[in-house]
Amino acid sequence: MSNPDHPQSSAERSGSSYFHIEFEGRSVLARQGDTVASALIAAGVQVLSRSLKFHRPRSVFCLSGSCGSCLMRIDGLPNTRSCQVKAEPGLRCERQNAWPSADYDLLSAADAMFPRGMDHHTMFTSPRPLNRLMQKVVHQMGGLGRLPDEDADAVAPSSVICKHVAVLVIGGGPAGLSAATAAAQALGKSGEVLLVDAQGFVGGSYLCHPELGRDRARSAAQQAEEAGVELHTGTAAFGFYREERHDAQPSGQLGFVAAASDHALYKLSADRYIYATGANAQNLLFIDNDRPGVMSGRAVGRLLACHGIRVGEKPLVVGSDPFAEVLVQALRRSGQTVIHIDGVRDRLTRALGGSWVEGAEVCDERGVHRTVSCDLIVIATAPAAASELLVQHGASVELRQPGGFIGVADSDGRTQLPSVFVCGEVSGAMTAQDAAAHGAHVGLAVARDRGKGPARDAVSARAFK
Amino acid sequence: MSEKCIVCPCEDVTLADVEQAIGLGYLDIDEVKRFTGLGTGSCQGKLCMVTTCQLLQTAQSADSQRQARQPEAQKVPHPFTPRPPVVPVSLGVLAAGKGADRER
Repeated sequence: MSNPDHPQSSAERSGSSYFHIEFEGRSVLARQGDTVASALIAAGVQVLSRSLKFHRPRSVFCLSGSCGSCLMRIDGLPNTRSCQVKAEPGLRCERQNAWPSADYDLLSAADAMFPRGMDHHTMFTSPRPLNRLMQKVVHQMGGLGRLPDEDADAVAPSSVICKHVAVLVIGGGPAGLSAATAAAQALGKSGEVLLVDAQGFVGGSYLCHPELGRDRARSAAQQAEEAGVELHTGTAAFGFYREERHDAQPSGQLGFVAAASDHALYKLSADRYIYATGANAQNLLFIDNDRPGVMSGRAVGRLLACHGIRVGEKPLVVGSDPFAEVLVQALRRSGQTVIHIDGVRDRLTRALGGSWVEGAEVCDERGVHRTVSCDLIVIATAPAAASELLVQHGASVELRQPGGFIGVADSDGRTQLPSVFVCGEVSGAMTAQDAAAHGAHVGLAVARDRGKGPARDAVSARAFK
Repeated sequence: MSEKCIVCPCEDVTLADVEQAIGLGYLDIDEVKRFTGLGTGSCQGKLCMVTTCQLLQTAQSADSQRQARQPEAQKVPHPFTPRPPVVPVSLGVLAAGKGADRER
């Protein structure tokens, strides 16, 4: 694994300072802007976690906080997503759920013992004495991580912030930023626009895009701020509570979005809601698809665009949508020897290797299998809409391929709920650039709905449906 | 280590587990979730739900062909209920929401 000074990353690397974090008693070099996961990957750490039942080795897959394969114990706190924690000098991290160590975990014997998976319905149910013994073993081995070092009483109490705004935008990716900017520009002083984003920086899928990256994220965020949008980063919307209300809400209104930052709970309501929650990376089905070194295209793009980290020398990229093409070009420019298959005519059937990918088996249209040598497998197929909050709010979704469970909406992004709008990938598979254009269109439609802004914006509504 | 095709990495649910559930006649995503435990881990189904729904769609159309049912009789795919919190939240932050109760 290497961490070279290639052109894409030089801008991010220059002027950045280095420091050390502590990884299981070892000192690991991290760079300003690194997360715990990116620092460990750059340092060549292969196994970041062990899986719950089979203790299979795992490393990052999504690198955006939506999967559970990078959970570590960080500063004494178990089950923390290492891709979401900023690396800071002196931070301590260690792997969990392994004995004696995550590199050589004897508990992974469970993987060999149950080659086809565990059937809990009939497992060790008889004879009775064996059942009692196994109950004890399961109680010992079940669960993930140990309790925190710190006493719960020692943690500073969180505050509660209740707020009602004209427009609440959930998600600060290309669509959310454009929608918030367009709505704020059109509404002016007549309505407050608030945007919450779960990540440490706004930008969403811009940050995974090797050609747009942090620069585009920064300029979009700047535009939003200039338009008067209130941006809350590091604030993850985690639920919509339909039957409840908060103190700052106008009387007669029910339901609010609950969001959490490190030390505050937000109860947020609005006259209009715009869901721009984007999409989650998805894996494909093939043998040993969970091996460390099988990463989503977005994770690989993010490592390159935001952290200047090039993983491996010979990646195999699966996927044929526009993002896969951009990624392949960027990896080639960074000096990697890329093998690119479309995932349809040539299908991935197996990952080879133990604690890291060493190759792959590919099957062509005629059913002929071949072995490909590679040191990274990049799943750059379409992600699936992150529509959980939208469903909690009560909007309808439908399954699309590609796209996942997308929010059902008209050409202005309005769902069947009159105050709820969707834009970007949560409303259908699209590129980052199209999501930005869609967001701007929906943002204006929302302002128009509030009686402000031009009658019709320049972008044709038909382009989106 | 043994060879496995993992559908739900959080709960280590394999393709063989899902196929077993389908073989037993569980063709609804909620049934498969209850039978296998997929989607109940730390990511709450963000990585496995859509893939499983696609497997179920294929199984349902094979099932209705076998039983000579009209394709319209097939179920419309739906997600399982996404309950809050949809992202991991610390208990400390959640506890703040009940400020009045805490002072009692």
